[in-house]
Amino acid sequence: MSYMFSFLALCCLLHLVPLHSCESAIDSRIPEGFQKGTHTNNWAVLVDTSRFWFNYRHVANVLSIYRSVKRLGIPDSQIILMVADDMPCNLRNPRPATVFNNANEHINVYGDDVEVDYRGYEVTVENFLRLLIGRLPPGTPRSKQLLSDEGSNVLVYLTGHGGDGFLKFQDSEEISSQELADAVEQMWQKRRYNEMFFVIDTCQASSMYDKMYSPNVLAVASSLVGEDSLSHHVDPAIGVYIIDRYTYYALDFLERVEPDSRKTLGEFLKVCPKRLCISTVGVRRDLFRRNPDKVLITDFFGAVRPVEVVAAMDTNWPQSTNLAFKNSTLQVSYKKTKQSNLKHVYSPQFPLKT
Amino acid sequence: MGLSNLSRSLILEYVFAFVLRVWLYNSEFKTTIIGRVEVSTPVNSWKRVTEGVVLQKDGVNPYSGDMFHESPVGLAIYSQLIEYASPYLPGIFILLDLITGHLLYLTAVEYMKHLMRRQEEDKAEFSEDVKDLLLSQKDVERQPLYVVAAYLFNPYILFNTVAQTTTVFSNICLAASFLFMAKGNRWGSCVTISFATLQSLYPIVLIVPAAICVGYHTLPIKKPQKLTKARAIAPVKLDIYQKMLPKSLRSVNSTHWITSMATTIGLFFVMLTSLLFLSCHLSGGWEFLHSVYGFMLLVPDLRPNIGLFWYFFTEMFEHFRLLYLWAFQMNALVLYLLPLSLRTRRDPILLAASLTGITAMFKSYPSLGDVGFYLSLLPMWAHIFPCKKFFLSFFSLNLLVLFNKEKNSVADLQQGFIVLAAFIITSVLGPTVWHLWIYARSANANFYFGVGLAFAIAQIFLITDILLSYTKREFILRHGTSTLLHGKHGKLVLA
Amino acid sequence: MIVWAVFTLILSSVSALGQSGLYGDEFHEELVLKQLPSGHVYSYFQFTTLWENGGDQPNHHCHLFPQSLSEVLHLYNVDEMHLSLTGGLWRHENWGYPVVSAPPGAELWAWFKEGTHDVDKKWTLLSNALSGLFCASLNFINPQQSPSPKYSFAPLGAYGSASQNRSLLRYSTLPREIVCTENLTPFKKLLPCDSKKGLSSLLNAGNIHNANYHSLGIHVRPQCKDENCHETVLELKQTVSLVYDLIILGQESRDWSFRKLFGVGLAGPCPLAKSSKIYVDCSTNATTFDYNLSPDPTEFINSNRGGYNTVFAVYDIKKTHIINMFSVSATHKGPRVQSIISPPVIHATRYIVGYGQEHGGIVTKIHNNHWKEIDITLFENIPWFLPTYYHTLKITANGGKQVLKPYAKHYLPGRDRSRPYTLEFLVTLPPRSVTEIYLEFDYSFLKWQEYPPDANHGFYVGAAAITTLLPHTKNYTGVPIDGSTFSSSINASRDTYPVTLHTEILLVTLPTPDFSMPYNVICLACTVVALAFGPLHNHTTKRLQMLDPSEETKGVIANLRQRLNSFLTQSTKAKEQSSPAPSEVIKSPQKEEAACGSKVTSRKKDRAAKSS
Repeated sequence: MSYMFSFLALCCLLHLVPLHSCESAIDSRIPEGFQKGTHTNNWAVLVDTSRFWFNYRHVANVLSIYRSVKRLGIPDSQIILMVADDMPCNLRNPRPATVFNNANEHINVYGDDVEVDYRGYEVTVENFLRLLIGRLPPGTPRSKQLLSDEGSNVLVYLTGHGGDGFLKFQDSEEISSQELADAVEQMWQKRRYNEMFFVIDTCQASSMYDKMYSPNVLAVASSLVGEDSLSHHVDPAIGVYIIDRYTYYALDFLERVEPDSRKTLGEFLKVCPKRLCISTVGVRRDLFRRNPDKVLITDFFGAVRPVEVVAAMDTNWPQSTNLAFKNSTLQVSYKKTKQSNLKHVYSPQFPLKT
Repeated sequence: MGLSNLSRSLILEYVFAFVLRVWLYNSEFKTTIIGRVEVSTPVNSWKRVTEGVVLQKDGVNPYSGDMFHESPVGLAIYSQLIEYASPYLPGIFILLDLITGHLLYLTAVEYMKHLMRRQEEDKAEFSEDVKDLLLSQKDVERQPLYVVAAYLFNPYILFNTVAQTTTVFSNICLAASFLFMAKGNRWGSCVTISFATLQSLYPIVLIVPAAICVGYHTLPIKKPQKLTKARAIAPVKLDIYQKMLPKSLRSVNSTHWITSMATTIGLFFVMLTSLLFLSCHLSGGWEFLHSVYGFMLLVPDLRPNIGLFWYFFTEMFEHFRLLYLWAFQMNALVLYLLPLSLRTRRDPILLAASLTGITAMFKSYPSLGDVGFYLSLLPMWAHIFPCKKFFLSFFSLNLLVLFNKEKNSVADLQQGFIVLAAFIITSVLGPTVWHLWIYARSANANFYFGVGLAFAIAQIFLITDILLSYTKREFILRHGTSTLLHGKHGKLVLA
Repeated sequence: MIVWAVFTLILSSVSALGQSGLYGDEFHEELVLKQLPSGHVYSYFQFTTLWENGGDQPNHHCHLFPQSLSEVLHLYNVDEMHLSLTGGLWRHENWGYPVVSAPPGAELWAWFKEGTHDVDKKWTLLSNALSGLFCASLNFINPQQSPSPKYSFAPLGAYGSASQNRSLLRYSTLPREIVCTENLTPFKKLLPCDSKKGLSSLLNAGNIHNANYHSLGIHVRPQCKDENCHETVLELKQTVSLVYDLIILGQESRDWSFRKLFGVGLAGPCPLAKSSKIYVDCSTNATTFDYNLSPDPTEFINSNRGGYNTVFAVYDIKKTHIINMFSVSATHKGPRVQSIISPPVIHATRYIVGYGQEHGGIVTKIHNNHWKEIDITLFENIPWFLPTYYHTLKITANGGKQVLKPYAKHYLPGRDRSRPYTLEFLVTLPPRSVTEIYLEFDYSFLKWQEYPPDANHGFYVGAAAITTLLPHTKNYTGVPIDGSTFSSSINASRDTYPVTLHTEILLVTLPTPDFSMPYNVICLACTVVALAFGPLHNHTTKRLQMLDPSEETKGVIANLRQRLNSFLTQSTKAKEQSSPAPSEVIKSPQKEEAACGSKVTSRKKDRAAKSS
């Protein structure tokens, strides 16, 4: 426990020092095979912005990434999933409560224990921006908040219909690349992330990261400006395109990643070459201070570090000793309530005729 | 029976109007007309009045909801009507309409007399060659008849009566206030205008022409010697404009005007305030202010009508809403009030008519009843523009004056044809595109709004043309019809 | 291995605690299966958690009660809360009454503790918190749209006094809410055994959402601890109601089994449960249906309730030795028989009348099949965008022949964008009658930004709720108010049986504006205003003057036009020169037009400058 604590403290201390100057120093001090990330926790913001049944594939896209990050260890409480329409329980879906990534129904990306945080009409530009910058109305439940800090590695994944410099939300409003870039800058100034990995699968996707100017952002887009991002294939049983090319191959890659995998982001950036994607995958690395080839993929797609529970008993035994104590307090309160001789009654279920 | 020709045609008009209304009431068109958005708006529909009355009867404050927007005084009247006279309601509405017609007739008679008097007064200053343009005795006799006909056979007014909108009540108030204005009756006009204002807010602007009217009628007897003296001292100062003023106004007695107008306006506000307090007493609180006037000013209900507000504020960006609400309400209420009052002060009835027209166009929930009312006032100025032709072709029911030839108009309605065509086309096209949008779902809101725009433009052309024609006539009366200027052909322009 | 042994030890000791009720907390899991006369299979899961000190002690350990929920309840002063998330419509006419009724979509109602000041604020926060807890869009519930019904939705819990302060009640529905796996996941997480063991392991997303009707319910209320009822416990009832159409499930036969309905068998009871039972309603076996149950039930219970007999086959999972997977199955014998469905005492239906998007009406039809008069409460909550005419309310029975007068009525007219139209009344339905309730409304026109992204899908109107007291228990399955578990409904004869019915939700297509037009409309409308402003401005600020046209300075185009016009005038003038009557000069149309033409152009320029 104390080791852990001191390590965290060390991380924090190190973080205060300008990173680029001492990065190599950290690298040299920490032995090979040990976690070298600069972050302490992981968050994922996964957004599908498209409504309507024919946009089934966008839901499949976002759920593919959801499935991967959840499998690789980010807990549901640290994944903000925004899905603009209900595909799994849509009446048009021949297999209720499922969303598949390919026509062979290979993977049900929806899964059995999904938690969608923003759904339907809640997926708006305003809610998305508020989520990122943390200015949410009072009373917003925890599951709808991005409670990241300066030690968080945040994965942002967006999919939907876009154009040069904008991404449509629900076919009724749009977020511009400038708005997005400013939101990210605000996140940086508010220390809401350590590093951000920004993935977007939409037409002319690279236009969405062009305007970004905040440090420590690595961005990848499914297509360059002027290119369309294409879908992968149709499922005749469902009747619509069921997944987009880029995400299909990204999922294909991520399915082969395990929580202890040594795969790097560099490999992820090479996913979906042009012959498969038909569009060119765009990457923006100038804001990112590390070499993606040396960054583990689990720095963004997984939980921060594996924790092994070694002393299950320790936490349990004291309970029995506490029992008596609890019982006594319980008795006290029990007596208190007992003193009142109030008779409780049920209300009549139907108003009485007067 | 010593009935003159005039009274006979007048009675004929009333009888015919009555029959027409009774027929429409019993025809199948009635339900269609009642439901039309052009006729029944949220502020005047009888269905909502019934709703308010029933709510009140059942102990629910009608102003707590958003269904009822009549004043508490109106509510008291309507609930009595519904309680005790509901089988006779159509009869009452027809009667009210005929009374409105008659009030307008009396107004027109009074006004024509006044015009004649002024013409006699100012005749000395008129140019030699304008004899044809002068008001003849025949005009004086005929024009009131046209007014009645234009009111009673106006299809807009017919729809309005048959739909039993509360605009019938506001029209009778307005007609009475016009009569009192023409007679220069201070108390009468104040009472009627404050009732009209209580009901639909916008007639508040009429208090200015009313004050001017009263001012004229209470002028002290003229002192001609003083006038000649003034003329002798400063003959150069009397430019064209001062010449155009009626003699009575030239001897401006500023203290008289200030006290007279202040008294009228003050009296009006005292009456309005007491009516508001009465309303508060009747409804048991000030909640009605928001429900009645707040509703008219803030335009929360975006149900289409013949005005401009509904689609404009449907499509408005939320952060500009308040700005444009102010702009549009100013436009309807105060923007033209002062300039027009200054410009048309010599003819306050014309001022009142044009203000009524402007508010009928630009108010938040206009209905055809409002439009019909000011249209029927226009034949009072039939001598300045060929509005007879205009009205004849539009309200072809008015057979009485069908063959009356124009001969003495000075100024054409510049857009007369456009206005006429627009009125007819929009009246037909409006319901058509409404049906396509709401029932057939093959058109959309833009179509209906486009028709509304055309209708509004037609009305704007009509009103601005009348004002311009009036000015031109005044000018020509004093300067003659010749356009020669320094031996060359000049041009009459606003400069 | 050792770890596992220890874990099992702990678990069993904890479960022993649970069973022995050391903390006084209890957990019961029950499943009721009923073959409905229409051939559908109704399965009802009820997970009941009783928290002994929940009512009074906010800081106590929850033990079996879900902590996340208890925090929310205490934080927002909630006395009792009822939440349901439903897909599909319960068809009373064919299916009888469910154990708990729920309208399509989401329904939330809560009673706040006496003395809560800012109920509206607490209500907002409560719905927000629940939205996070159940992954539902409950945050769309706002206090303005949540009425406090006056007669319906009486508190179900036991309280110090029977007086109801209705200002502490809030009711709201979200008829559009979709229910899917993301709602089931957090629902299951509230259970002590999650979905790992016990009856909850039967709740598989794929099989639940395949049902004709599925409804999740969370019901919290204070419940009498014992018969004296000097103390209360906090009762959490989590319910899942499912109605399967066996034909849709794939096979022709009417046979059903756990595997067919839920996809899996049952591995065993939840170790923390005090009781774990499966009830199969066999009343119709051998009459309507003829099937064999396998395995044999632990016992048969004959429940006589208000004169009606029900036979339950009971499986006590706690006592059943499960070797592999436990599954109840019914195998039908004889040929398929279409049975006559006798509808329940009271059922209702609701629909919209009228065509077009201008005026419409809502018709609610309530059937009374009893031979005696029955009193009902109807609660209508119509959203503000359907302005309703109260004076058009007509309550007629038997095809309009009989006009009914409600003996108590409460109407709250709506306000645009801030309050719905709430109508609630009590009326006596004549025996064997169909009562029709008719209300007229207008279609509203909303601002373009108020329409949802799929504006043409339409807007939903929540279900009406009908509350009544049934005279007998035919088709009735409800749990009595003084009982918690389903088992308490056995032999529970009472004077009356309260029931709440929900009608259909309505879908209304409001007229839409053109969403792509804001700029155009703003420009055009402003142009029209400027069109009036320009001439009136000219008219009031300038004077008529006779000017020499040649002296005027004009724009290029106006100049050209002027020249052209004067040229034309000159040529016609030349002909008319012989008799230049002055009045005719003025009337000369060309002349007029020339003046007017130039004015119009300058006016246009004015306008252009203004509108730009």
